[in-house]
Amino acid sequence: MDVTFRIRRYNPEIPGKDKPHWQEFKLSDVEPTDRVLEMLHRIKWEQDGTLAFRRSCAHGVCGSDAMRINGVNRLACKVLVRDLGNRIQVEPILGLPVLKDLIVDMEPFFEHYRAVMPFFVNDTPLPADGRERLQSPEDREKFDDTTKCILCACCTTACPSFWANGKYVGPAAIVQAHRFIFDSRDLAGDDRLDILASPDGVWRCRTIFNCTPACPRDIEITKAIGEVKLAIRNGSTEGIIEVRDIKHEA
Amino acid sequence: MSSLVLTITETLRYRGALGQWSWVLHRISGLGVVLFLTLHVIDTSWSVFYPALYVKAIAVYQTPLFTIGEFALIAAVVYHALNGLRIAILDYRPALWRYQARAAWIVLGASVLLLIPVFILMFGHVLNFYNDPERRVLPFADVLESQLPFAVGIVLAVVAGVLYSGIHGVIAPRKETPTDNMFRRPVGSRWEKFWWSYMRVSGFLIVPLVFGHLAMMHVIQGVFDITAADYVTVGTNVVNQTGTSVEFVANRWNYLVGGIAVWRLYDIALLALTVIHGFNGLRYVLTDYTADSTLIRRGMIYTCIIGALILLMVGGLALLGTIDQTAIRMAEEAVAKLHP
Repeated sequence: MDVTFRIRRYNPEIPGKDKPHWQEFKLSDVEPTDRVLEMLHRIKWEQDGTLAFRRSCAHGVCGSDAMRINGVNRLACKVLVRDLGNRIQVEPILGLPVLKDLIVDMEPFFEHYRAVMPFFVNDTPLPADGRERLQSPEDREKFDDTTKCILCACCTTACPSFWANGKYVGPAAIVQAHRFIFDSRDLAGDDRLDILASPDGVWRCRTIFNCTPACPRDIEITKAIGEVKLAIRNGSTEGIIEVRDIKHEA
Repeated sequence: MSSLVLTITETLRYRGALGQWSWVLHRISGLGVVLFLTLHVIDTSWSVFYPALYVKAIAVYQTPLFTIGEFALIAAVVYHALNGLRIAILDYRPALWRYQARAAWIVLGASVLLLIPVFILMFGHVLNFYNDPERRVLPFADVLESQLPFAVGIVLAVVAGVLYSGIHGVIAPRKETPTDNMFRRPVGSRWEKFWWSYMRVSGFLIVPLVFGHLAMMHVIQGVFDITAADYVTVGTNVVNQTGTSVEFVANRWNYLVGGIAVWRLYDIALLALTVIHGFNGLRYVLTDYTADSTLIRRGMIYTCIIGALILLMVGGLALLGTIDQTAIRMAEEAVAKLHP
C-alpha cells in the first residue's frame, strides 16, 4: 500500500527551516503490519537524511520514541500502519521544548521524575538472615501496575494540565512515586506524599483521563494518581488499594 | 496567556478521548455559571438595598438575550453538576476508573434527558409571556447598558488583584515554591489538600440545593412569574399582591416555618457553598494558565479572593436584611417609571 506521511519538522540550525512546519513524504510498498518507526527509518534512509527522531531498542521497552501519531501520543515502534490508515501524521510530544524535528528536550520531564525520590529507601538493618526483605504477594501486587513504567513521557505530554503548566509534576512522576509509596518495604512514603501534596503536585490533576489511554504499557495511570491523592488526604496508604481490585494477568 | 492559547489549540488538535471533552465542557460550564452567579448575587442583594435597581434587573432578565442565557445557564448547571459527581466519585473510588468513559456518556445522556422536560417547561413560561399582549420588554440597548457596571466591576477586580499582587511582591521577600532544605524539594500544601476535598464535598451538597433552587425559580415558576401579580410566591403560601419582584423576594425571605425563615437559611447555604466553590474553581482555571508569571498568577488568586469576599459580604448582608413595605412601594414606583 501507499502511505503519505505528514511530519512536523523544525531545525534551528538551518535558516528557512527554523520555524516549525509540515513536510510530506510518500512511501510505497508499505506492509499493513509495518510499524511507524520502520517507516520513519525508510524516510530517513531513502528520502531525507536530516529527519531527526529518537529510538533505541525499537521494541517498546526503552520508551525513547514517543511521538504524537495521528493526534495521540504513541510509541512509534508499537503502532502498526494498518491501525492508522494511509495518511499518517507525526509530530513531537507536547509540553517539552522541541530541539529538532521529533526530538524534544526531556530534561524538564526527568527533573519532575527525580523530584519524587524514585528510588528505594530503607536504612533499617537487613533481616537476620542477611537476605532479602520479604513481602507478601498481596503487598507486592499493590504496586505491580506502576512498576511497568518506561518513562516514555506519553502520559505526561498527553495531559492538558501539563501543557498549561510545565511545573506540574505530571502523571509519569506520580506513577513512579506510586510504585514506592505503596511498597510496604519502602520507608520514604511520607516524604513522597508531601512532595506530591505541593501546589504543583497531584492537585493539578483534573481527572481528565488523557494519560491512561496514552500509556503504551497499559498502566492504569489515572487510577494510580487517584490512589496517591487519597493517600495524601488520609495521611496513610492503609486501605486505599484493595487487592481484589487488582487485575490478574493470565 | 501563551499557555492558555497553546492549551486551547492543542486540546482541539489532540485526539483525546471523551474524558478530555468532558473536562473542556466542565470548565466552560463552570466559568459560565460563576459569571452568572456574580451578577445574580449582586442584583438579588438590590432587592434589599436598592429596590428600584432590582426591579430593573428582573426586567433585564425578562429580555430575549437573558432568556437565551437562562437556557444556557440551566444546561451548564445540569452538565457541571452531573459531570462533577462523576469526577468526585472517580476521585474517591479510583478503582472505578474503568467505567469513566461510560460514565461520561451517561452524564451527557442524563443531561440531555433531564434538560428536555426542563426546557419544555421553561419554554412554556417564555411562550406565556410573549402571548401576553401587555408584555413589556426592555430595549436591547438598556439591557447592554445595565450590564456595563458588572463589566467595569470585573475589570476593576482583576486590576485590583494584580495591584495587590504587585504590592505583595514588593513587601514580601521573593519566595519560590517552598522547598525542604535537605532535599530541595517542594513541600506539601495543606490548603490545596483542603480545597481538593472542599470542591468535592461542597459539590455533593450543592447539587440538591441548586437543583431545588432552579426548579423553583426557572421551572415551576419562571423569571416571568416573579413580576406576575396575584401569583402565590413559589415555596410559600403568600400571594405576590403588587406583582413586583421585590415583594416576591420579601415573600420568600419572610416566610416562616415553625418560626424559622427557611428560604433565608436555604439561600445562605447556597450562597456560601456556591460562591466558595465557584471562585475556587475560577482560581484553578486562572492559575493553570498563568504559571509563567508570579505577578499575574498571584494577581488572579487575589482577584478570586476579592470576588468571593464581595459576593459573600453583599449577599450575606442582603440575606440578613429586611424588605419592608417601603421597599415594596419603591419597587412599585420603579415599575411605573420603567414602563411609562
